[in-house]
Amino acid sequence: MATSPTIATQGYTSTDPELAAIDASVRWPVMACFLTAVHWMVVGTFFLVYASSLAHPQDTFPILGLFVSLSDNFSMFTYGRIWPAAVDTLVYGWATTGGLGLAIWILARTCRTPVRSPATLMTAIVFWNLGIATGLIGIFLGDSNSVELLEFPAYAAWTLWLSYVLFAVWAVVTWLGRRPGHDHVAQSWLLVALFSFPWLFGGGSVLLDGKPLAGSGVIQELISAWYVHGLYTLWFAPLGLALLYYLIPKMSGLPIRYGTKTQAAFWTWIIFAPWTAVHDLVGGPFPAETVTTGLVLSGLIFLPVALIGMNLVGTAFAAEEKHGHHGGIVFPFLTLSAVCFVLAGIAEQILSIRSANELLRFTMFRECNFFLWLYGFFSFGLFGAIYYIVPRLLDFSWRSSALIRAHYYFSLYGILLVIAMVGFGSVVQGETLESPDPLVTITIADQNALNFHIASTVCISLIAIGSGIFALHLGWMLLNCINIRVRANRLASEILHEPYEPEGPAGASPAPGTAAAKKEVAA
Amino acid sequence: MISPLTTRGFLLLIGGVFLFTWFGLVVLPWIYLGHLAPIQDEGSSDITPWDASGAAHQGEHIYAADGCVYCHTQQVRPANSGADIIRGWGTAKDESDDKAPPIIRRTYPRDYIWQGQVFLGNSREGADLSNVAERFTDAASLYRYLYDPYILNPHSSMPAYRFLFIERKISGLPSQDALALTGDDAPPAGYEIVPSDEARSLVAYLLSLKKNYHLPDEKGPVPAPPDKS
Ligand code: HEC
Repeated sequence: MATSPTIATQGYTSTDPELAAIDASVRWPVMACFLTAVHWMVVGTFFLVYASSLAHPQDTFPILGLFVSLSDNFSMFTYGRIWPAAVDTLVYGWATTGGLGLAIWILARTCRTPVRSPATLMTAIVFWNLGIATGLIGIFLGDSNSVELLEFPAYAAWTLWLSYVLFAVWAVVTWLGRRPGHDHVAQSWLLVALFSFPWLFGGGSVLLDGKPLAGSGVIQELISAWYVHGLYTLWFAPLGLALLYYLIPKMSGLPIRYGTKTQAAFWTWIIFAPWTAVHDLVGGPFPAETVTTGLVLSGLIFLPVALIGMNLVGTAFAAEEKHGHHGGIVFPFLTLSAVCFVLAGIAEQILSIRSANELLRFTMFRECNFFLWLYGFFSFGLFGAIYYIVPRLLDFSWRSSALIRAHYYFSLYGILLVIAMVGFGSVVQGETLESPDPLVTITIADQNALNFHIASTVCISLIAIGSGIFALHLGWMLLNCINIRVRANRLASEILHEPYEPEGPAGASPAPGTAAAKKEVAA
Repeated sequence: MISPLTTRGFLLLIGGVFLFTWFGLVVLPWIYLGHLAPIQDEGSSDITPWDASGAAHQGEHIYAADGCVYCHTQQVRPANSGADIIRGWGTAKDESDDKAPPIIRRTYPRDYIWQGQVFLGNSREGADLSNVAERFTDAASLYRYLYDPYILNPHSSMPAYRFLFIERKISGLPSQDALALTGDDAPPAGYEIVPSDEARSLVAYLLSLKKNYHLPDEKGPVPAPPDKS
């Protein structure tokens, strides 16, 4: 199924010459982001499966004996290092790096300006990735802070922050230079994301990294909760939503349903959603007023979630109906992402009910939430976007629709099963942990939760297989693309040195990489 | 997008929302809790809570580096919010008086003022450790537990921390704090297993974790002790 002529010669660049020029100008930075992101996704998913399998006793699967004895005897492999390494790789390496790629692309496109100074961007991306690598090494060598999502030691955190600032300067310049009259609702989401990240990450790192404010006591945990939930609600959510608000109408050709509600959805989200931070504070040693106020505000999260759901899920379903066959191969990723956003919103809504929070507070519901946000909502959006964007940047198509389908179904069932398992498991675990019977111990709670842990490891492996297929497919596509380009170039130079042949297909101007040159190769 | 706002209005508004959240979640509680001081006991120079030893503070770093916080909490919620008290995680022996009933209470912000880093935690794969020093009263038992938690529960998901210990040849007399290990765990003859410096400070830290004092923050009725019959 490899390189049939249609695949090699069909044009994938945008038919709008202006957009095509913009895509060409962001090609290298965006590809750099996507490729490094996918690399981190593979690494992070591997860590995640490893860590997840350590969370149940060594006698569950035979092969676990090896994992467990590694983790017992070498500090590098202990659960308390693998797990944060997995989460941070996925959050910063995969989602944030990919998100930066998205941000570049959407910003350039919606501002209708080609990128100025791609070298700045490339520098930022290189240092960003170095920062992540240093941070991971730091965690494995025992420099972790154990502050959730800020585990990277200070030296790595600063590298990340500085590279981000470099990126942000570029973004602001691009945005200021936007062509007037091209405002797009995706831009507001994007701007919130772009501004919130340095604010959150800077604030969190200054206050918590390395030497947490000594003597500040529980304030540290307030800052940490503010940071973690800020990252989800003001960084990942807006980035993913910018993507969905941009791509869903574009790919489906339908306007956003209930389009007049987009503004309301935007403002209610950024006002209420960050207060989900108090979900981590209920019952803890904090001022009761903070928690109560926070629960009231975060309890209103159903407003933006409903509005955004109407906008995005509504449009996506309408599009699937209109186009049949789920609207194509790539589009279902976006639908799934939008649906997972609503599910994540519902999970947050549940946690803002005090009694539900008390039940689920310390259970694996937290993992369920993490999977919904990061794997469900954000990753699926990013997968869809990569499937959509990369052919437009490289003018080269994906190699096999079967592989895309396989990726989709592995991820779909993986994520749905994880959520079902972990969600249900967290209720079982919570019922035991919060049981009024004084004879119930943590050992019993762990026993009751055990099967759900095992099930979730299996389902995470499903997702991992899907992600592996995706990574291999991307690699295959790139190799093919490079291969064909190289051959086309060689051919083009041969043709150039041959006597002029007016009627030859590549005779006119066989510049490297043009459709004509590729036709030659394919023929 | 920005209609009906101007660009500047839009950015200001976003900044305002960010500050509002920051103020409500961090600054206000900070004003409220940032200056908590220990309580001076009447008629003595003692203060509660007291600061832990330097070794215990060192142990915080090991606790952080090895990620105990991903499975253990250190917060006891009040009796009307969750079952922490019923699980016995808020129970400590009142050492001031042998006949006094145990101290059973939630944790308060003031309990944490001396800690360099606070590990309240968000996951209870394992027990709450706010009062772990009440259940493990000596270092030897903790070393033993960290070295091989499967002895107490063969299906435990508590990881072993063997890398915090050193196996070495006995020269002269065996060390005082060599682990008393039997069965599969026992070192070969002529060898002994001793805690590393990291294990020592980690255990010093764990032994500092107990809330066996009263605080003026306690209001309302003292909860009844859990009935373990
Ligand atoms: C993978 C999760 C996990 C990690 C990481 C972990 N623990 Fe545990 N821990 C447990 C579980 C589960 C139990 C309960 C074991 C049982 O029921 O047998 C436990 C029990 C304990 C106990 C006994 C508590 C009691 O009161 O009975 C201590 C002490 C302890 N852990 C200390 C630590 C320390 C110190 C670290 C970090 C170096 C740590 N744990 C890391 C899961 C974990």
